[in-house]
Amino acid sequence: MDKIVFGKYIPLDTPIHALDPRAKILAMLVVLVAIFLPAGWLGYLFIGIAIGIVIILAKIKFKVILRAFKPMMFMMIFLLVINILSVKEGTVLVDFDIFGHDFTIYADAIFDTLYIIVRLLLMIMITTVLTMTTKPLDLTLGIEYLLTPFKVIHVPAHEIAMMISIALRFIPTIIEETMRIMNAQKSRGVDFEEGKLSEKISAIVSLIVPLFSVSLQRADELANAMEARGYAPDGKRTRYRRLKYAFRDIVLLGGAIAILVMMIILAFVI
Amino acid sequence: MVKFESLSYIYAKDMPYATTAIEDIDLEIAKGKITAIIGKTGSGKSTLIQHLNALLLPTKGKLVIEDHVIEADKKATDLKALRKKVGLVFQFSEYQLFEETILKDVAFGPKNFGLSEEEAIKKAKEALKLVGLDETYYTRSPLDVSGGQKRRAAIAGILAIEPEIIVLDEPTAGLDPRGSKEMIELFYRLNKDLHKTIILVTHDNEIVYNYADEVVLLDKGHIIEKKEAKAFFEDTALLDELDILRPQIIALKEALNKKGASIGDDVHSIDDLAKYWRQHG
Ligand SMILES: Nc1ncnc2c1ncn2[C@@H]1O[C@H](COP(=O)(O)OP(=O)(O)O)[C@@H](O)[C@H]1O
Ligand SMILES: [Mg+2]
Repeated sequence: MDKIVFGKYIPLDTPIHALDPRAKILAMLVVLVAIFLPAGWLGYLFIGIAIGIVIILAKIKFKVILRAFKPMMFMMIFLLVINILSVKEGTVLVDFDIFGHDFTIYADAIFDTLYIIVRLLLMIMITTVLTMTTKPLDLTLGIEYLLTPFKVIHVPAHEIAMMISIALRFIPTIIEETMRIMNAQKSRGVDFEEGKLSEKISAIVSLIVPLFSVSLQRADELANAMEARGYAPDGKRTRYRRLKYAFRDIVLLGGAIAILVMMIILAFVI
Repeated sequence: MVKFESLSYIYAKDMPYATTAIEDIDLEIAKGKITAIIGKTGSGKSTLIQHLNALLLPTKGKLVIEDHVIEADKKATDLKALRKKVGLVFQFSEYQLFEETILKDVAFGPKNFGLSEEEAIKKAKEALKLVGLDETYYTRSPLDVSGGQKRRAAIAGILAIEPEIIVLDEPTAGLDPRGSKEMIELFYRLNKDLHKTIILVTHDNEIVYNYADEVVLLDKGHIIEKKEAKAFFEDTALLDELDILRPQIIALKEALNKKGASIGDDVHSIDDLAKYWRQHG
Protein backbone atom coordinates (compact mmCIF):
# COMPACT_ATOMS: atom_id res chain seq x y z
CA MET A 1 0.00 0.00 0.00
CA ASP A 2 2.83 2.37 0.81
CA LYS A 3 5.02 1.24 -2.04
CA ILE A 4 3.41 3.29 -4.77
CA VAL A 5 4.62 6.62 -3.53
CA PHE A 6 8.35 6.22 -3.97
CA GLY A 7 9.11 9.92 -4.11
CA LYS A 8 7.02 10.84 -1.09
CA TYR A 9 8.36 13.50 1.25
CA ILE A 10 9.88 12.03 4.38
CA PRO A 11 10.17 14.50 7.24
CA LEU A 12 13.66 14.27 8.69
CA ASP A 13 16.06 16.79 10.14
CA THR A 14 19.08 16.77 7.83
CA PRO A 15 21.16 19.46 6.12
CA ILE A 16 19.62 18.46 2.79
CA HIS A 17 16.10 18.93 4.12
CA ALA A 18 17.09 22.35 5.42
CA LEU A 19 18.23 23.63 2.02
CA ASP A 20 16.24 26.33 0.30
CA PRO A 21 13.88 24.74 -2.24
CA ARG A 22 14.97 27.23 -4.92
CA ALA A 23 18.59 26.21 -4.46
CA LYS A 24 17.61 22.56 -4.69
CA ILE A 25 15.58 23.04 -7.86
CA LEU A 26 18.32 25.12 -9.50
CA ALA A 27 21.02 22.64 -8.49
CA MET A 28 18.90 19.84 -9.88
CA LEU A 29 18.49 21.63 -13.21
CA VAL A 30 22.22 22.31 -13.43
CA VAL A 31 23.10 18.68 -12.69
CA LEU A 32 20.45 17.46 -15.14
CA VAL A 33 22.14 19.50 -17.86
CA ALA A 34 25.50 18.04 -16.76
CA ILE A 35 24.08 14.53 -17.04
CA PHE A 36 23.15 15.15 -20.65
CA LEU A 37 26.67 16.13 -21.66
CA PRO A 38 28.59 13.30 -23.30
CA ALA A 39 31.17 13.22 -20.53
CA GLY A 40 31.87 9.50 -20.59
CA TRP A 41 31.98 6.97 -17.80
CA LEU A 42 34.38 8.93 -15.64
CA GLY A 43 31.95 11.83 -15.60
CA TYR A 44 29.00 9.64 -14.65
CA LEU A 45 31.02 7.99 -11.92
CA PHE A 46 31.75 11.44 -10.57
CA ILE A 47 28.11 12.58 -10.67
CA GLY A 48 27.04 9.27 -9.14
CA ILE A 49 29.40 9.79 -6.21
CA ALA A 50 28.19 13.37 -5.72
CA ILE A 51 24.55 12.26 -5.65
CA GLY A 52 25.50 9.37 -3.37
CA ILE A 53 26.93 11.83 -0.87
CA VAL A 54 23.75 13.89 -0.97
CA ILE A 55 21.67 10.74 -0.45
CA ILE A 56 23.74 9.77 2.57
CA LEU A 57 23.51 13.29 4.00
CA ALA A 58 19.73 13.21 3.49
CA LYS A 59 19.54 9.91 5.41
CA ILE A 60 17.64 8.23 2.60
CA LYS A 61 18.03 4.48 2.53
CA PHE A 62 19.47 3.19 -0.75
CA LYS A 63 16.77 0.53 -0.60
CA VAL A 64 14.19 3.26 -1.15
CA ILE A 65 16.08 4.61 -4.16
CA LEU A 66 16.28 1.12 -5.63
CA ARG A 67 12.54 0.88 -5.28
CA ALA A 68 12.22 4.02 -7.37
CA PHE A 69 14.11 2.26 -10.17
CA LYS A 70 11.72 -0.64 -10.34
CA PRO A 71 9.01 0.97 -12.50
CA MET A 72 11.76 1.85 -15.01
CA MET A 73 12.81 -1.76 -15.49
CA PHE A 74 10.38 -2.42 -18.30
CA MET A 75 11.41 0.71 -20.15
CA MET A 76 15.07 -0.19 -19.86
CA ILE A 77 14.55 -3.66 -21.30
CA PHE A 78 12.52 -2.12 -24.10
CA LEU A 79 15.33 0.32 -24.83
CA LEU A 80 17.86 -2.47 -24.87
CA VAL A 81 15.86 -4.45 -27.39
CA ILE A 82 15.34 -1.43 -29.66
CA ASN A 83 19.01 -0.57 -29.54
CA ILE A 84 20.12 -4.10 -30.25
CA LEU A 85 17.87 -4.16 -33.27
CA SER A 86 18.81 -0.76 -34.63
CA VAL A 87 22.44 0.02 -33.77
CA LYS A 88 24.75 -1.56 -36.30
CA GLU A 89 28.11 -0.12 -35.32
CA GLY A 90 31.15 -1.14 -33.33
CA THR A 91 32.65 -4.56 -32.90
CA VAL A 92 30.45 -7.57 -33.36
CA LEU A 93 29.73 -9.30 -30.06
CA VAL A 94 27.42 -12.08 -31.13
CA ASP A 95 26.42 -13.33 -34.52
CA PHE A 96 23.92 -16.10 -35.00
CA ASP A 97 21.02 -17.35 -37.04
CA ILE A 98 17.42 -17.55 -35.91
CA PHE A 99 15.09 -19.25 -38.35
CA GLY A 100 17.25 -18.21 -41.22
CA HIS A 101 17.49 -14.58 -40.11
CA ASP A 102 20.95 -13.26 -39.56
CA PHE A 103 21.16 -11.78 -36.11
CA THR A 104 24.08 -9.70 -34.90
CA ILE A 105 24.62 -7.82 -31.67
CA TYR A 106 27.13 -5.00 -31.84
CA ALA A 107 29.12 -3.69 -28.91
CA ASP A 108 27.84 -0.16 -29.45
CA ALA A 109 24.26 -1.27 -29.00
CA ILE A 110 25.03 -2.47 -25.52
CA PHE A 111 27.12 0.60 -24.70
CA ASP A 112 24.54 3.06 -25.98
CA THR A 113 21.84 1.40 -23.94
CA LEU A 114 23.97 1.40 -20.83
CA TYR A 115 24.66 5.07 -21.42
CA ILE A 116 20.99 5.94 -21.58
CA ILE A 117 20.17 3.73 -18.61
CA VAL A 118 22.84 5.30 -16.45
CA ARG A 119 21.58 8.76 -17.38
CA LEU A 120 18.02 7.79 -16.56
CA LEU A 121 19.04 6.27 -13.25
CA LEU A 122 20.97 9.37 -12.28
CA MET A 123 17.99 11.53 -13.19
CA ILE A 124 15.63 9.39 -11.15
CA MET A 125 18.02 9.54 -8.22
CA ILE A 126 18.18 13.32 -8.30
CA THR A 127 14.47 13.90 -8.63
CA THR A 128 13.72 11.31 -5.95
CA VAL A 129 16.11 13.02 -3.57
CA LEU A 130 14.51 16.36 -4.33
CA THR A 131 10.94 15.22 -3.69
CA MET A 132 11.84 13.11 -0.67
CA THR A 133 13.61 15.94 1.10
CA THR A 134 11.41 18.90 0.14
CA LYS A 135 7.88 19.52 1.35
CA PRO A 136 5.54 19.68 -1.66
CA LEU A 137 4.43 23.15 -0.60
CA ASP A 138 8.03 24.37 -0.42
CA LEU A 139 8.65 22.87 -3.81
CA THR A 140 5.84 24.84 -5.41
CA LEU A 141 6.80 27.96 -3.51
CA GLY A 142 10.31 27.54 -4.90
CA ILE A 143 8.94 27.09 -8.42
CA GLU A 144 6.80 30.18 -8.03
CA TYR A 145 9.76 32.26 -6.86
CA LEU A 146 11.92 31.00 -9.71
CA LEU A 147 9.22 31.69 -12.30
CA THR A 148 8.40 35.17 -11.04
CA PRO A 149 11.06 36.94 -13.19
CA PHE A 150 9.41 35.39 -16.26
CA LYS A 151 6.18 37.22 -15.52
CA VAL A 152 7.44 39.98 -17.80
CA ILE A 153 7.08 37.59 -20.73
CA HIS A 154 3.59 36.64 -19.45
CA VAL A 155 4.45 33.35 -17.80
CA PRO A 156 1.61 32.89 -15.28
CA ALA A 157 3.95 32.04 -12.41
CA HIS A 158 1.36 32.10 -9.68
CA GLU A 159 -1.21 30.09 -11.61
CA ILE A 160 1.34 27.45 -12.50
CA ALA A 161 2.44 27.20 -8.88
CA MET A 162 -1.17 26.99 -7.70
CA MET A 163 -1.93 24.24 -10.20
CA ILE A 164 1.11 22.28 -9.12
CA SER A 165 0.33 22.66 -5.43
CA ILE A 166 -3.26 21.57 -5.93
CA ALA A 167 -2.12 18.58 -7.96
CA LEU A 168 0.47 17.67 -5.33
CA ARG A 169 -2.03 18.19 -2.55
CA PHE A 170 -4.44 15.77 -4.17
CA ILE A 171 -2.03 12.98 -5.05
CA PRO A 172 -2.24 11.38 -1.59
CA THR A 173 -6.00 11.89 -1.54
CA ILE A 174 -6.39 10.21 -4.89
CA ILE A 175 -4.13 7.34 -3.89
CA GLU A 176 -6.16 6.88 -0.74
CA GLU A 177 -9.37 7.05 -2.74
CA THR A 178 -7.99 4.51 -5.22
CA MET A 179 -7.13 2.13 -2.39
CA ARG A 180 -10.55 2.54 -0.87
CA ILE A 181 -12.41 1.90 -4.10
CA MET A 182 -10.12 -1.02 -4.95
CA ASN A 183 -10.82 -2.57 -1.57
CA ALA A 184 -14.54 -2.01 -1.94
CA GLN A 185 -14.51 -3.72 -5.34
CA LYS A 186 -12.35 -6.56 -4.02
CA SER A 187 -15.07 -7.14 -1.45
CA ARG A 188 -17.45 -7.49 -4.37
CA GLY A 189 -15.29 -10.24 -5.78
CA VAL A 190 -13.11 -8.26 -8.17
CA ASP A 191 -9.65 -9.71 -8.61
CA PHE A 192 -7.18 -6.99 -9.58
CA GLU A 193 -4.23 -9.33 -9.87
CA GLU A 194 -5.35 -12.30 -11.89
CA GLY A 195 -7.99 -13.18 -14.40
CA LYS A 196 -8.77 -13.21 -18.07
CA LEU A 197 -8.41 -10.06 -20.15
CA SER A 198 -12.16 -9.37 -20.08
CA GLU A 199 -12.13 -9.69 -16.27
CA LYS A 200 -9.14 -7.41 -16.07
CA ILE A 201 -10.94 -4.78 -18.13
CA SER A 202 -14.05 -5.00 -16.01
CA ALA A 203 -11.86 -4.69 -12.90
CA ILE A 204 -10.21 -1.53 -14.20
CA VAL A 205 -13.55 -0.01 -15.21
CA SER A 206 -14.93 -0.69 -11.73
CA LEU A 207 -12.02 1.32 -10.37
CA ILE A 208 -11.73 4.13 -12.91
CA VAL A 209 -15.37 5.18 -13.13
CA PRO A 210 -15.87 5.79 -9.39
CA LEU A 211 -12.44 7.39 -9.20
CA PHE A 212 -13.35 9.87 -11.91
CA SER A 213 -16.67 10.72 -10.37
CA VAL A 214 -15.09 11.22 -6.94
CA SER A 215 -12.27 13.34 -8.38
CA LEU A 216 -14.64 15.54 -10.34
CA GLN A 217 -16.73 15.99 -7.24
CA ARG A 218 -13.62 16.89 -5.21
CA ALA A 219 -12.54 19.39 -7.86
CA ASP A 220 -15.94 20.99 -7.85
CA GLU A 221 -15.98 21.29 -4.07
CA LEU A 222 -12.49 22.75 -4.04
CA ALA A 223 -13.35 25.30 -6.70
CA ASN A 224 -16.40 26.37 -4.71
CA ALA A 225 -14.42 26.61 -1.49
CA MET A 226 -11.78 28.73 -3.19
CA GLU A 227 -14.34 31.04 -4.74
CA ALA A 228 -16.19 31.36 -1.45
CA ARG A 229 -12.98 32.65 0.07
CA GLY A 230 -12.57 35.20 -2.67
CA TYR A 231 -9.74 33.53 -4.55
CA ALA A 232 -8.91 35.16 -7.86
CA PRO A 233 -5.84 33.93 -9.72
CA ASP A 234 -4.70 37.40 -10.71
CA GLY A 235 -5.31 38.95 -7.29
CA LYS A 236 -2.42 40.69 -5.55
CA ARG A 237 -1.36 38.81 -2.46
CA THR A 238 1.35 38.83 0.14
CA ARG A 239 3.20 35.76 1.31
CA TYR A 240 3.07 34.13 4.69
CA ARG A 241 6.27 32.20 4.11
CA ARG A 242 9.27 33.89 2.58
CA LEU A 243 12.32 32.07 1.34
CA LYS A 244 15.84 33.11 2.26
CA TYR A 245 19.11 31.76 0.93
CA ALA A 246 21.66 30.57 3.49
CA PHE A 247 25.34 29.68 3.19
CA ARG A 248 24.60 25.98 2.65
CA ASP A 249 22.53 26.89 -0.41
CA ILE A 250 25.54 28.61 -1.92
CA VAL A 251 27.61 25.48 -1.20
CA LEU A 252 25.03 23.34 -3.00
CA LEU A 253 24.81 25.61 -6.02
CA GLY A 254 28.58 25.94 -6.13
CA GLY A 255 28.87 22.15 -6.08
CA ALA A 256 26.33 21.77 -8.85
CA ILE A 257 28.06 24.35 -11.03
CA ALA A 258 31.44 22.71 -10.35
CA ILE A 259 29.97 19.41 -11.59
CA LEU A 260 28.65 21.09 -14.71
CA VAL A 261 32.01 22.74 -15.44
CA MET A 262 33.79 19.44 -14.95
CA MET A 263 31.44 17.66 -17.31
CA ILE A 264 31.96 20.37 -19.91
CA ILE A 265 35.71 19.91 -19.61
CA LEU A 266 35.42 16.13 -19.78
CA ALA A 267 33.10 16.30 -22.75
CA PHE A 268 34.59 19.00 -24.90
CA VAL A 269 38.10 19.86 -23.77
CA ILE A 270 39.81 16.59 -22.94
CA MET B 1 -17.36 -17.96 14.29
CA VAL B 2 -14.85 -15.15 13.97
CA LYS B 3 -11.81 -15.04 16.19
CA PHE B 4 -8.96 -12.53 16.35
CA GLU B 5 -5.87 -13.84 18.15
CA SER B 6 -3.39 -11.23 19.43
CA LEU B 7 -3.68 -9.44 16.13
CA SER B 8 -1.83 -6.18 15.46
CA TYR B 9 -1.71 -4.01 12.38
CA ILE B 10 0.85 -1.30 11.61
CA TYR B 11 0.38 1.07 8.67
CA ALA B 12 3.53 1.99 6.72
CA LYS B 13 5.62 -0.46 8.70
CA ASP B 14 9.36 0.18 8.09
CA MET B 15 8.66 3.86 7.43
CA PRO B 16 9.49 6.73 9.77
CA TYR B 17 5.79 7.56 9.95
CA ALA B 18 4.58 4.04 10.86
CA THR B 19 1.28 4.00 12.80
CA THR B 20 0.14 1.14 14.98
CA ALA B 21 -3.59 1.16 14.23
CA ILE B 22 -4.63 -1.85 16.30
CA GLU B 23 -2.62 -3.81 18.81
CA ASP B 24 -2.97 -7.21 20.44
CA ILE B 25 -6.59 -7.69 19.55
CA ASP B 26 -8.15 -10.78 21.10
CA LEU B 27 -11.77 -10.97 20.12
CA GLU B 28 -14.41 -13.57 19.48
CA ILE B 29 -17.50 -12.58 17.55
CA ALA B 30 -20.43 -14.92 17.99
CA LYS B 31 -22.29 -16.39 15.05
CA GLY B 32 -25.83 -15.20 14.46
CA LYS B 33 -25.59 -12.10 16.61
CA ILE B 34 -25.41 -8.40 16.04
CA THR B 35 -22.10 -7.13 17.33
CA ALA B 36 -21.50 -3.39 17.46
CA ILE B 37 -17.97 -2.03 17.35
CA ILE B 38 -17.75 1.43 18.85
CA GLY B 39 -14.95 3.85 19.65
CA LYS B 40 -13.71 7.30 18.81
CA THR B 41 -12.55 8.26 15.33
CA GLY B 42 -9.08 6.86 14.77
CA SER B 43 -9.49 4.10 17.36
CA GLY B 44 -8.93 1.43 14.71
CA LYS B 45 -12.44 0.23 13.91
CA SER B 46 -12.08 0.37 10.14
CA THR B 47 -8.65 -1.22 10.29
CA LEU B 48 -10.04 -4.05 12.39
CA ILE B 49 -12.90 -4.92 10.09
CA GLN B 50 -10.88 -4.76 6.88
CA HIS B 51 -9.04 -7.83 8.15
CA LEU B 52 -12.32 -9.73 7.87
CA ASN B 53 -12.00 -9.59 4.10
CA ALA B 54 -8.23 -10.03 4.04
CA LEU B 55 -7.94 -6.53 2.58
CA LEU B 56 -5.37 -5.92 5.27
CA LEU B 57 -3.20 -8.77 6.46
CA PRO B 58 -2.17 -8.80 10.12
CA THR B 59 1.28 -7.47 10.96
CA LYS B 60 1.22 -9.84 13.93
CA GLY B 61 -1.16 -12.51 15.15
CA LYS B 62 -3.97 -14.17 13.27
CA LEU B 63 -7.63 -14.18 12.41
CA VAL B 64 -9.82 -17.24 12.10
CA ILE B 65 -13.10 -17.05 10.22
CA GLU B 66 -14.62 -20.51 10.34
CA ASP B 67 -12.34 -22.56 8.07
CA HIS B 68 -10.30 -19.58 6.86
CA VAL B 69 -7.12 -18.63 8.67
CA ILE B 70 -5.44 -15.30 7.96
CA GLU B 71 -1.98 -15.00 9.39
CA ALA B 72 0.87 -12.53 9.50
CA ASP B 73 3.35 -12.92 6.64
CA LYS B 74 1.24 -15.48 4.85
CA LYS B 75 -0.51 -14.77 1.62
CA ALA B 76 -4.18 -15.41 2.20
CA THR B 77 -5.55 -18.18 0.04
CA ASP B 78 -9.06 -18.82 -1.14
CA LEU B 79 -9.87 -15.11 -1.03
CA LYS B 80 -12.95 -15.47 -3.19
CA ALA B 81 -14.55 -17.97 -0.83
CA LEU B 82 -13.75 -15.74 2.12
CA ARG B 83 -15.22 -12.66 0.47
CA LYS B 84 -18.30 -14.60 -0.53
CA LYS B 85 -18.76 -15.63 3.09
CA VAL B 86 -18.04 -12.22 4.61
CA GLY B 87 -19.66 -9.23 2.91
CA LEU B 88 -17.99 -5.94 3.74
CA VAL B 89 -19.80 -2.66 3.27
CA PHE B 90 -17.36 0.22 3.39
CA GLN B 91 -17.95 3.59 4.92
CA PHE B 92 -19.45 5.89 2.27
CA SER B 93 -20.00 2.82 0.14
CA GLU B 94 -21.93 4.89 -2.40
CA TYR B 95 -18.62 5.76 -4.07
CA GLN B 96 -18.14 2.22 -5.35
CA LEU B 97 -21.06 2.37 -7.81
CA PHE B 98 -20.00 2.42 -11.44
CA GLU B 99 -22.37 0.57 -13.78
CA GLU B 100 -24.85 2.37 -16.01
CA THR B 101 -27.86 1.14 -14.08
CA ILE B 102 -28.49 0.33 -10.46
CA LEU B 103 -29.65 -3.19 -11.30
CA LYS B 104 -26.45 -3.94 -13.22
CA ASP B 105 -24.35 -2.53 -10.43
CA VAL B 106 -26.00 -4.68 -7.79
CA ALA B 107 -25.62 -7.73 -10.04
CA PHE B 108 -21.89 -7.03 -10.44
CA GLY B 109 -20.94 -8.77 -7.17
CA PRO B 110 -22.83 -12.03 -7.68
CA LYS B 111 -21.48 -12.23 -11.23
CA ASN B 112 -17.94 -11.90 -9.93
CA PHE B 113 -18.62 -14.80 -7.61
CA GLY B 114 -19.54 -17.00 -10.52
CA LEU B 115 -23.30 -16.64 -10.97
CA SER B 116 -24.72 -16.48 -14.46
CA GLU B 117 -26.08 -13.16 -15.73
CA GLU B 118 -29.63 -14.39 -15.18
CA GLU B 119 -29.08 -15.63 -11.63
CA ALA B 120 -27.14 -12.50 -10.75
CA ILE B 121 -30.00 -10.29 -11.92
CA LYS B 122 -32.41 -12.36 -9.86
CA LYS B 123 -30.26 -11.95 -6.73
CA ALA B 124 -29.90 -8.25 -7.49
CA LYS B 125 -33.67 -7.80 -7.65
CA GLU B 126 -34.10 -9.60 -4.33
CA ALA B 127 -31.41 -7.47 -2.71
CA LEU B 128 -32.89 -4.24 -4.05
CA LYS B 129 -36.23 -5.27 -2.63
CA LEU B 130 -34.63 -5.85 0.76
CA VAL B 131 -33.13 -2.36 0.84
CA GLY B 132 -36.39 -0.80 -0.31
CA LEU B 133 -35.57 0.23 -3.87
CA ASP B 134 -38.45 -0.78 -6.18
CA GLU B 135 -38.53 -1.62 -9.91
CA THR B 136 -38.49 2.03 -10.93
CA TYR B 137 -34.87 2.20 -9.77
CA TYR B 138 -33.64 -0.77 -11.83
CA THR B 139 -32.81 1.26 -14.91
CA ARG B 140 -31.74 4.47 -13.25
CA SER B 141 -28.10 5.50 -13.18
CA PRO B 142 -26.57 5.03 -9.74
CA LEU B 143 -24.92 8.40 -10.18
CA ASP B 144 -28.09 10.46 -10.29
CA VAL B 145 -30.18 9.22 -7.41
CA SER B 146 -30.02 10.75 -3.91
CA GLY B 147 -27.20 10.01 -1.48
CA GLY B 148 -29.38 7.79 0.68
CA GLN B 149 -30.54 5.78 -2.33
CA LYS B 150 -26.97 5.38 -3.53
CA ARG B 151 -26.10 4.01 -0.10
CA ARG B 152 -28.97 1.53 -0.33
CA ALA B 153 -27.87 0.45 -3.79
CA ALA B 154 -24.33 -0.09 -2.54
CA ILE B 155 -25.55 -2.16 0.38
CA ALA B 156 -27.77 -4.16 -1.97
CA GLY B 157 -24.60 -4.81 -3.98
CA ILE B 158 -23.19 -6.71 -1.01
CA LEU B 159 -26.46 -8.36 0.06
CA ALA B 160 -26.87 -9.76 -3.47
CA ILE B 161 -23.73 -11.82 -2.85
CA GLU B 162 -25.63 -13.47 0.02
CA PRO B 163 -22.81 -13.47 2.56
CA GLU B 164 -23.28 -15.28 5.88
CA ILE B 165 -21.52 -12.53 7.78
CA ILE B 166 -22.28 -8.91 6.96
CA VAL B 167 -19.84 -6.27 8.12
CA LEU B 168 -20.85 -2.62 7.90
CA ASP B 169 -18.62 0.39 8.48
CA GLU B 170 -20.75 3.29 9.72
CA PRO B 171 -23.65 2.50 7.39
CA THR B 172 -25.87 5.22 8.82
CA ALA B 173 -23.32 8.04 8.77
CA GLY B 174 -24.68 11.03 6.89
CA LEU B 175 -28.20 9.66 6.50
CA ASP B 176 -31.27 11.49 7.75
CA PRO B 177 -32.90 10.08 10.93
CA ARG B 178 -35.59 8.21 9.01
CA GLY B 179 -33.13 6.75 6.51
CA SER B 180 -30.89 5.78 9.35
CA LYS B 181 -33.71 4.00 11.21
CA GLU B 182 -34.82 2.15 8.07
CA MET B 183 -31.26 1.09 7.44
CA ILE B 184 -30.69 -0.30 10.90
CA GLU B 185 -34.04 -2.08 10.87
CA LEU B 186 -33.01 -3.75 7.64
CA PHE B 187 -29.93 -5.20 9.34
CA TYR B 188 -32.03 -6.19 12.32
CA ARG B 189 -34.39 -8.11 10.02
CA LEU B 190 -31.49 -9.71 8.17
CA ASN B 191 -30.25 -10.93 11.50
CA LYS B 192 -33.58 -12.11 12.90
CA ASP B 193 -35.18 -13.52 9.72
CA LEU B 194 -32.22 -14.69 7.69
CA HIS B 195 -29.90 -15.41 10.64
CA LYS B 196 -27.05 -13.38 9.26
CA THR B 197 -24.21 -12.51 11.58
CA ILE B 198 -23.98 -8.73 11.64
CA ILE B 199 -20.89 -6.77 12.61
CA LEU B 200 -21.63 -3.09 12.77
CA VAL B 201 -19.27 -0.18 13.22
CA THR B 202 -21.21 2.82 14.44
CA HIS B 203 -21.04 6.04 16.41
CA ASP B 204 -24.70 5.95 17.28
CA ASN B 205 -25.21 4.65 20.80
CA GLU B 206 -29.00 4.63 20.38
CA ILE B 207 -28.56 2.08 17.61
CA VAL B 208 -26.17 0.01 19.66
CA TYR B 209 -28.47 0.01 22.67
CA ASN B 210 -31.64 -0.74 20.76
CA TYR B 211 -30.43 -3.28 18.22
CA ALA B 212 -27.06 -4.84 19.11
CA ASP B 213 -26.50 -8.00 21.13
CA GLU B 214 -22.87 -7.39 21.94
CA VAL B 215 -20.76 -4.27 22.10
CA VAL B 216 -17.01 -4.01 21.61
CA LEU B 217 -15.33 -0.77 22.61
CA LEU B 218 -12.05 0.18 20.96
CA ASP B 219 -9.75 2.89 22.21
CA LYS B 220 -6.42 3.81 20.61
CA GLY B 221 -6.21 0.44 18.92
CA HIS B 222 -7.02 -1.65 21.98
CA ILE B 223 -10.21 -3.42 23.00
CA ILE B 224 -11.07 -1.96 26.37
CA GLU B 225 -14.52 -3.46 26.84
CA LYS B 226 -16.62 -6.27 25.43
CA LYS B 227 -20.02 -6.82 26.90
CA GLU B 228 -23.65 -7.69 26.30
CA ALA B 229 -25.05 -4.44 24.86
CA LYS B 230 -27.93 -3.81 27.26
CA ALA B 231 -25.78 -4.61 30.29
CA PHE B 232 -23.04 -2.32 28.98
CA PHE B 233 -25.35 0.69 28.89
CA GLU B 234 -27.08 -0.11 32.20
CA ASP B 235 -23.72 0.14 33.93
CA THR B 236 -23.71 3.91 34.24
CA ALA B 237 -20.62 3.96 36.43
CA LEU B 238 -18.74 2.20 33.65
CA LEU B 239 -20.14 4.64 31.06
CA ASP B 240 -18.86 7.54 33.11
CA GLU B 241 -15.47 5.96 33.49
CA LEU B 242 -15.20 5.34 29.75
CA ASP B 243 -16.74 8.68 28.83
CA ILE B 244 -19.55 7.13 26.79
CA LEU B 245 -22.68 9.06 25.88
CA ARG B 246 -25.82 7.48 27.35
CA PRO B 247 -28.73 6.41 25.16
CA GLN B 248 -31.74 8.65 25.87
CA ILE B 249 -33.79 6.02 27.62
CA ILE B 250 -30.91 5.28 30.03
CA ALA B 251 -30.49 8.98 30.75
CA LEU B 252 -34.24 9.28 31.35
CA LYS B 253 -34.30 6.31 33.70
CA GLU B 254 -31.34 7.69 35.57
CA ALA B 255 -33.01 11.07 35.99
CA LEU B 256 -36.29 9.49 37.16
CA ASN B 257 -34.50 7.17 39.57
CA LYS B 258 -32.73 10.17 41.04
CA LYS B 259 -36.15 11.67 41.74
CA GLY B 260 -37.15 8.61 43.70
CA ALA B 261 -38.41 6.13 41.09
CA SER B 262 -36.88 2.67 41.05
CA ILE B 263 -36.92 1.62 37.43
CA GLY B 264 -35.04 -1.61 36.89
CA ASP B 265 -32.68 -2.90 34.21
CA ASP B 266 -35.51 -4.65 32.38
CA VAL B 267 -36.91 -1.37 31.08
CA HIS B 268 -35.37 -0.82 27.65
CA SER B 269 -37.76 1.39 25.74
CA ILE B 270 -40.41 4.06 26.02
CA ASP B 271 -43.04 1.32 25.82
CA ASP B 272 -41.45 -0.55 28.71
CA LEU B 273 -41.38 2.66 30.66
CA ALA B 274 -45.06 3.35 29.97
CA LYS B 275 -45.90 -0.17 31.14
CA TYR B 276 -43.87 0.38 34.28
CA TRP B 277 -45.67 3.67 34.87
CA ARG B 278 -49.08 2.06 34.55
CA GLN B 279 -48.11 -0.56 37.10
CA HIS B 280 -46.41 1.73 39.59
CA GLY B 281 -47.75 5.16 38.60
N1 LIG C 1 -4.16 4.12 5.05
C1 LIG C 1 -3.62 4.50 6.21
N2 LIG C 1 -2.31 4.83 6.30
C2 LIG C 1 -1.76 5.21 7.47
N3 LIG C 1 -2.42 5.29 8.63
C3 LIG C 1 -3.73 4.98 8.62
C4 LIG C 1 -4.41 4.57 7.42
N4 LIG C 1 -5.71 4.31 7.72
C5 LIG C 1 -5.83 4.56 9.03
N5 LIG C 1 -4.66 4.96 9.59
C6 LIG C 1 -4.41 5.28 11.01
O1 LIG C 1 -4.76 4.16 11.79
C7 LIG C 1 -5.49 4.55 12.93
C8 LIG C 1 -6.84 3.85 12.95
O2 LIG C 1 -7.62 4.32 11.88
P1 LIG C 1 -9.04 3.71 11.51
O3 LIG C 1 -8.95 2.23 11.53
O4 LIG C 1 -9.48 4.35 10.25
O5 LIG C 1 -9.93 4.21 12.72
P2 LIG C 1 -11.51 4.42 12.84
O6 LIG C 1 -12.16 3.66 11.74
O7 LIG C 1 -11.84 3.91 14.21
O8 LIG C 1 -11.76 5.88 12.74
C9 LIG C 1 -5.58 6.06 12.89
O9 LIG C 1 -4.56 6.57 13.71
C10 LIG C 1 -5.34 6.40 11.45
O10 LIG C 1 -4.71 7.64 11.34
MG1 LIG D 1 -13.39 4.38 10.21
